[in-house]
Formats: sequence, C-alpha cells, structure tokens
Amino acid sequence: MKPFATILQRRGARLAIFCLALACAGALAAQTINLLETGSSLLYPLFNLWLPAYHRIAPEVRITTQSTGSGTGISDAVAGIAQIGASDAYMADAMMRQHPGMLNIPLAISMQMVNYNLPGLNGRNLKLSGPVLAGIYSGSIRYWDDGQIQAMNPGVRLPHHAIIPVHRTDGSGDTFIFTQYLSFSTPSWSNNVSYGTTISWPAVPGELGAEGNPGMVTATQGNPYTIAYIGTSYEQAIRRARLGIAALKNRAGQFVLPTSATAKAAAAQMVAKTPKDERISLIFAPGPTSYPIINYEYAIVNSRQASAAIAAAMRKFFTWAMSSSGGNAPHFLNQVNFVALPAPVVRLSAAQVAQIQ
Amino acid sequence: MRRVYAALAALVAAILVAIVAFFAVEAWPAIGLNGWHFLTHDVWDVGRQYGNPILRDGRLVLPGAHYGILFLIVGTLLSTAIAVVLAVPIGVLAAIFLAECIPAALRTWVSFFVEMLAAIPSVVFGLWGYIFLIPFLARHVFPWMAAHLGFLPYFGGATGSGYGLLTSGLVLALMIVPLVTSTVRDALVAQPHGLRDAALALGATRFETLRTVQLPGTRRAMTGSAILATGRALGETMAVLMISGNALNYLPTNIYSPISTMASFIVSQLDGALQDPTGMAVRALAEVALVLCLISVVVNSLARGLLYWQDRISSAWPA
Repeated sequence: MKPFATILQRRGARLAIFCLALACAGALAAQTINLLETGSSLLYPLFNLWLPAYHRIAPEVRITTQSTGSGTGISDAVAGIAQIGASDAYMADAMMRQHPGMLNIPLAISMQMVNYNLPGLNGRNLKLSGPVLAGIYSGSIRYWDDGQIQAMNPGVRLPHHAIIPVHRTDGSGDTFIFTQYLSFSTPSWSNNVSYGTTISWPAVPGELGAEGNPGMVTATQGNPYTIAYIGTSYEQAIRRARLGIAALKNRAGQFVLPTSATAKAAAAQMVAKTPKDERISLIFAPGPTSYPIINYEYAIVNSRQASAAIAAAMRKFFTWAMSSSGGNAPHFLNQVNFVALPAPVVRLSAAQVAQIQ
Repeated sequence: MRRVYAALAALVAAILVAIVAFFAVEAWPAIGLNGWHFLTHDVWDVGRQYGNPILRDGRLVLPGAHYGILFLIVGTLLSTAIAVVLAVPIGVLAAIFLAECIPAALRTWVSFFVEMLAAIPSVVFGLWGYIFLIPFLARHVFPWMAAHLGFLPYFGGATGSGYGLLTSGLVLALMIVPLVTSTVRDALVAQPHGLRDAALALGATRFETLRTVQLPGTRRAMTGSAILATGRALGETMAVLMISGNALNYLPTNIYSPISTMASFIVSQLDGALQDPTGMAVRALAEVALVLCLISVVVNSLARGLLYWQDRISSAWPA
C-alpha cells in the first residue's frame, strides 16, 4: 500500500507543477492576439509560407490559416468569424452596398494557366483565344481539329477527337477570372453566361466537373483530350503531370505564355486604372506582352475591428505582407508563382490598411 | 428517473422537428420563388454574381437566377437504387455464407472484417474510387460492358471518363453491404436451432431449410437493413462528390453518365452560394436540404409500410 501512496503523492506534486505551468502559459497567452484567416485555396500556400516567418518578427500575434474557398472567406470576414477573408475575387457592388465597411486589400498578384492533355502535343504550347475557349466551354467547338483551333496553330497535327472541357464544381476564384477572360473577349459568352465564382456551365457532352485545383490536375492528367483552367500556384504539379500549357491571345492580339514577365507587363498596364478601393479586374489587359489572365489576390477585411489591439496587429501584419522586403519578397512569391504588387498599388493598399481601426 | 428518460427521448424528437422546421423557415422565400419548377426543371443558375440584384415577385434575386434540381433528384435516386439493388442480394448471400457455411472459429474473424468494412470513413472509399476504381472502370470495364451488354437499355453509348452513375452506385454498394450482411447474419444466428434441426429431420435439404425456414424468419431484419442502407446511400456526400462527375443541369443518358446527388451538391455549391448578396442561393440550398430530408422520410415510411404489410400477410397465411 505504502509505495502506491507515494506514487500517488508524487503524481500529485507533478500535477500541481503542471497546473502551475499551464496557468503561467495562460497568463502569457492572454497577451497574444489571435487572428483567423479563412478563404482562398490559392492564397493558402502563401499564408503557410508567411506565417512561420512572420511569427519570428511578431511572436505576440498568432495567425491561424484555413483553406475554405473564397466565398466562405468573404462571408466569414463579413460575419466577423474571421479577421482576414482571403479571396481571389473582389466583392461585388451589391455586396459592398450591404456591407460598406468592408475593405478589399490586394496582397499579391496571381495568374492562371489554360492546360490540356493532348497525347503527343503536350510539349508544344498550343495557341488559344478567348472566343475559342468560350466555344469549347459552350459546346460550339467540339473537336480538337476544329477549323478555328487549326487556324491559330498552323503546322500542328491536331487529332479528330472530342474535346473534354473540365471546370470547377466548387465556388472558385479561378472560375471567376477564367469566365471574366471569356466574358471580356467574347460578347456572346458575356450575354449568355457571364462571369462569377459559380457558373451555370452550358451542358457540353462529356464535360467533367472537378473539385479544387488538385482535382483539376488529376482530372486532366487522367483523361486524354481534356482542357482545364488551373491557378499557377499549381505549376509544379502541372509540370509533373506533363500537361500542356497554352499561349493565350491577349487584347493586343498577341499569343503570350504565363510567365512572371508577361504577368508583370499586364499588371503594369492596370496600375494606373486601379481605383482607391482597389476593386478591379486585371483580366484582358492591353499591351502587346500582357498575359490576359492575372488577378489581385485579396484580403477581405472589416474596417471596424473588435479592439484597437487587434486592429493594430492587423495593420502591422498587412504592412509586412505587402512590403518587398517582407511578404512580397521574391523568395516567398516565387515558390507559389505569384507576382509582387507594383509600388503604386502598395501605396493604395497602405491607405486602405490605415482604415482598419 | 423515468421522467429523465422521457425528457431525453422527447428532446431527440424535438431536435428532429426543430431541424426540419429551421430548414423550412430558411428555405421559405426560395420555395415561394421557385414553386414546383424547383422539382421539375434542370437549371441551377445562381445568376450574375456581379450584376445588380433585381426584384422578382417581391423578392430580391440576382439577374438570371433560376433554381431547378430535377437532375439532382434523379442522380440521387438512381445512384441509391443501383447501390441497394447490388448490395442487398450480395449482403444477404454473404450473411448466409457467414452464418451457415464456415466453421464457427473462422466466422468470428470473417464477420469482424465485414464489420470493419462498415467502419471505413466514406472519404477513404471516395479516394480509393478516385485513384483506383475510376481509371480501371473507364479503361477496362465500361468499354467491355458497352460492347457486350449494349443491347440492354442504358448500357450502350458513350462510356465517358469513369466518373458517373454506375461508379457512384458501385462505391455506395460497397459502403452499405456490411450493414446488410451484419444485420442479416445476426438474425440468422439468433434463430432457434430447433427450427432448423426440425426441418432437416423432416428430410429437407440444407438449401430447402434455408429457403423455407431460416430466411423467412429474417425478413424483418432484411427489410430493416435495406432501409438503413437506403438512408445511408441517399445521404452519402463525400465519396459521391469525388466520383460522380458532378454533372450540372443535365440528366444522365446512360449508366456511365456523370451525375450529381443532392448531398454532394450542397457541399460543392455552398462556397459560391455565399457570394450571392441577396442570400437567395443559400436559401435555395436549404430547399435542397429540405427536399433531401423529405425524400429520406418518404423512403423510410414506404419501407416501414412494407414491413407492416409483410407482417399482416404472414400472420394471415402462416407458412
């Protein structure tokens, strides 16, 4: 009996020490500020790169990141569930009228690729245009050797095989920017389907719906003769899957590949047009070397926060995230194929960040 | 103590009513807007998210918004029907095998494995379907079926990419087989041994004993397990989301066609619906949830009615 009692006593002492330690940790934790970020699955990898680095700079702030999809990010930020809602799309006018205190703050620039799985031709960069893609996704262009595709790609032996268009089934910022490219370049698409994060896709025989960017890569890889739109953060996965990358026709009529140079050229064209609230589409930018599908990646934030301390922590984090020596440094952005914000845009964003109170 | 039990039982019932009532209230504006079109049309379109909301019948909606879910109802019912039609006979045969045809020592182990099949989370089935089953079916099985069974209605035609109705039905069947097997096996084992011995003593063969004495006694268990299995298949979300092809706005043309089910559609559409400033898209999803609840209740009631009717018949004409 006696040894058992001793063990119990020892246990009790250990427990007391443990409880004391917990209490101390609790007292320290009371000073840390917890921020929650939910939303875009494209921004999620970047946040995962940022957070450990930022924790070394500001250990008093604890940021939790969740990949939930842009729509949930916006709605969580509006409802006050999350402090930061990450979104590939800016809020619509109607939503801004309902929630006038919300800010749309660009954190970086992303781009999107059009990929295909054409046996034997994936090494070549096929040339495609907005109207041709609109034709494929609405079912008026059914075969790979269609006259319109052939005319853009002279000398390429295209197979007479039905095209399988792949689209996202979940609400997605990728769908938003892809359908904007189709809408801005093709009046009939703009009139009949328009753009948004969720689209009532025209029924095309054989078409596939996929969940998330990883689902788009697997569906395209697993099915020859497919075509898909995928965010460039997945470029490594696309190269591993040996999918083709299309050169897209821009507003100036040139076919350009998605590279950081063409994305920067497009961004440079749109800087002067960016309004104070920074809600603008960068799709189909003018300029001969501009890549047509780039977008701002937004933090959706309520300008009225619960406490001054939270607001201050958010301002500090955003200032770091947008700085070229902080979160917009190449060693972060290159890993996810994002492009840094141009200096004038950083100034606009800083003015918005200052409104967070 | 009895009052505590009564209160707890009442609470469970109240939660069920409260959930249905909540969805009815949430979906009410959508029900008024959509009318019967909701059940009979094949267009789900949340409208132009970046357009200006318009007034329609006194309700604020996005321009171009239309909500019709016939394709979801058809996809849900067909995939569940395929799963149940495949799973019930296989499950019953497996139960007979486990109860009658293998030594008792081995039976415990094999039964354990069958029950473990029921413990696998559905997303694991989905992933397996996605990585293994879909390419296998698309390359080897479906083309063979279309070539050799094409004379049957809905078995011919384009076999597609492997995502679709039959794939969903097969994976759902795998998920519900253990439910059927374990329930029916327990019922078989629980039967009085005297009945079986008496039948054998009268000169009936093993098969005759099984068919005329043992299986009729498990009829309730069989129907009950089929109800459970149907309920699980109707509401299965994650696995179906990964393998159904998520067809939007069209009906399947054959058993290889992509489909969507109501449960998986709610998951895949919620994020986009949250961006509707009028809130109508979320209300329409609540209406989908309500319809799914109603279908489950109707299917359960039908099965219970069948059970009741079976009992009446068997008590009127004893075997």
